[in-house]
Amino acid sequence: MATRSRRLATKAALLPVMLTGALALAACSGGGSSTAPASGGAGAGSGAKTLVIDTSFDLKTADPGRTYEPTGLIIGKATYETLLTFDGADVTKPVPALAESYELSGDGKTVTLKLRPGATFSDGSPVTAEDVVFSLNRVRDMKGSPSFLLDGVEVASPGADTVTLTSAKPNPALPYILPNPGLGILNSKVAKANGATADASDKAEKYLNSASAGSGPYMIESFNLTGQVVLKKNTNYWGQNKPVYDKVVLRNVEAATQRLNVQRGDSHVALNLSGDQVANMPATLQVKKTPSANMIFLLNSQNPKISKITSNPKFVEAVRKGVDYKGLLELAGEGSVQAPGVIPSMMLGALPPDAGATRDVEGAKAALKESGLTNPTVKLEYPSELTVNGLSFQPLAERIQANLKEVGITVDLTPAPVTTALDNYRNGKEEMGLWYWGPDYPDPSDYLVFLPGKLVGLRAGWAEGADTALEAEGERVAAIVGDDKRKTAYADLQTKLNAQSPFIPLIQPTQNIVTAASVTGLEYHPVWTVDVADLGAR
Amino acid sequence: MSRLSRRRRRLPEAWRRPLAVVGGVIALTWLIVAVAAPLLAPYDPLAQELPRLAPPGPDHWFGTDQLGRDIFSRVLYGARVSIPLTLLLVVLSVLIGGLLGACAGYFGRWVDETVMRFADLVFAFPTVILAMVVAAALGASLTNAVLAVLVVAWPSYARVTRGLVMGMREREFVLSGRLLGFSAWRSLRLDVLPNVTGPILVLATLDIGTALLLLSGLSFLGLGAKPPSPEWGAMVSSGVEVFDSWWVATFPGLAILTVVLAFNFLGDTLRDALDPRTARAIKVRAL
Repeated sequence: MATRSRRLATKAALLPVMLTGALALAACSGGGSSTAPASGGAGAGSGAKTLVIDTSFDLKTADPGRTYEPTGLIIGKATYETLLTFDGADVTKPVPALAESYELSGDGKTVTLKLRPGATFSDGSPVTAEDVVFSLNRVRDMKGSPSFLLDGVEVASPGADTVTLTSAKPNPALPYILPNPGLGILNSKVAKANGATADASDKAEKYLNSASAGSGPYMIESFNLTGQVVLKKNTNYWGQNKPVYDKVVLRNVEAATQRLNVQRGDSHVALNLSGDQVANMPATLQVKKTPSANMIFLLNSQNPKISKITSNPKFVEAVRKGVDYKGLLELAGEGSVQAPGVIPSMMLGALPPDAGATRDVEGAKAALKESGLTNPTVKLEYPSELTVNGLSFQPLAERIQANLKEVGITVDLTPAPVTTALDNYRNGKEEMGLWYWGPDYPDPSDYLVFLPGKLVGLRAGWAEGADTALEAEGERVAAIVGDDKRKTAYADLQTKLNAQSPFIPLIQPTQNIVTAASVTGLEYHPVWTVDVADLGAR
Repeated sequence: MSRLSRRRRRLPEAWRRPLAVVGGVIALTWLIVAVAAPLLAPYDPLAQELPRLAPPGPDHWFGTDQLGRDIFSRVLYGARVSIPLTLLLVVLSVLIGGLLGACAGYFGRWVDETVMRFADLVFAFPTVILAMVVAAALGASLTNAVLAVLVVAWPSYARVTRGLVMGMREREFVLSGRLLGFSAWRSLRLDVLPNVTGPILVLATLDIGTALLLLSGLSFLGLGAKPPSPEWGAMVSSGVEVFDSWWVATFPGLAILTVVLAFNFLGDTLRDALDPRTARAIKVRAL
């Protein structure tokens, strides 16, 4: 008997020790896995030049027609080319790429593009109008992730070097959509030979995950969804700016490890570091801090069935005045900016930085008093493990909770795993939510979803007919053609949204990119994060 | 006379060993901290007013976290969250597990079968995973985390109690009690209970550490304490994000470690003191 109970006790005594170890290990490893260094290593050899980029993979495919994830867009941008592109990080004006020039018709319904002569695919064959029509039809009809970009757009080629894109409704955003790497042009002969069709029965993904069939400066050498992707130089590249590196290795590495790797020279570029992680970087490394296009916002449900509190306009005003925007920026790190409206600062139609809300605790208290609510308690939902540009939602939510407490609003934090939280958010069941919106394409029309009855509006219980004047204004703005007119129209629309919408734009966290001293030409891009072909070596 | 009285006042051998003393002192310190946290903490554990991520120094002994809260104060207040809940948890599992185990052992037959097969069912799952499933199903909150740990913790008590009671059931003094007309409850309470308390107490003390770890582990995974509650597991979890600021995760981690170690030492000591064979062995070694 005694032996038995002793053995039991010993076991019981061991268990905590083992668990302590497990917990400590989990804490040390940061929950991530480290990846073995690339075969080429990061050391700048005298012969072949290799660039190693560490990033947390969000990758599903290398088929441009199905690509919509950040890592996929980096690869797509390097291996395929689009009709139009953006110059550096400037997303306010599309510039020619495979197309030599483009023209938007006066009614905003037709874009006519003239193809550039001399552009060739990596196998040496020329890029033709036929390839363009096939590729774009394939994206639209295959119903992959980016197919919505071309919803209702008819592609035709009236001449050998001309392509027209026609939409039923005015679509002035189309030139801003075309640079998306999802709309990269495939070598249609090669693709068709490997199972590509312009409908849902397409079978080319497997081939396109092993080799690229594009005209981009790099080609796929090897592709592993969870480990690493190796790109090699396209020696036949037709463009003027030839690729500098012979090989580019993208590795799936967790943020904390990215930091260590780039510090000890094991990688050249680290893409996903948070503001706190890039603090105190050694001077030998270059740190690029750019406001990202991700706009983090608070939503207050306007559906009285969900909440009698948040649907009170004066309550929303109290929250808007109660949040300490500067305090949130402090958490997001240097380089972050306050979101002046729903449209991020770098896009056409963005409000000037000083148009953002400011904290006014007395005003917030007064608004709360006017709302007739006493000591309201609201539930704030947010995804617990999601990070945006390395920034976790947790500290932001805790800061907002503390801010609103000063005003007299009790915020009950209810973090949930992203899948659960997303479900409530998408179904409009959240009383108060903390989320972000990343642009599908860098055009202000992508933000009309924040209007009543639209995608995000509905998520905040802002049904159609809730604000008819604003809805009509949205319809009008969507059809305006001409950059200057659009700029003012979208700015006006946002001013109204800021005053009466259930959304409170908070911040655009900084995108921190750390590079080794040898890497030149890096710029953060809101659509494809980084254009590998722009990177040079010192 | 004087020799006799001195001997009477001395602690038993087992309690005089260094590990027992260390365990006792640490556990006592934490209990005091839990009671007196508001008096001891230099700052409000929820106030976000200090510089962010300040390293440990004379102003903030344990540094500050990413929201500018004093970690020392949070660790102290954390004792108020974790320790009482852990103790409550262990007491409840002893009561539930002990009662079910005693019934199973005493009545045998279908009662035994039902209770023990149910216990086996729980045992068949890995503890942490089962606790996670329960906590996730109930929703993230400290109360639910306690319930989840309770679900996985009671069977070990049931099993031990059952074994002890079964052995005890056939003993003459229990049988004679029954023959004298004691009810089952009276027999269990008066004859059996005093004889099974020792081993159960040992198991319970050792289990405090395990329970605290499980509870912190659930909070670490986001299934326990809700922010901004200063719970140790949740604090370690938030420290993982700011890896370079080592102090954010280290100090709550040390708090968990010391409490777990202290109660393990105490449990070992209790076992040695209550088990006559080990107690004798210690005495021989001491001599």
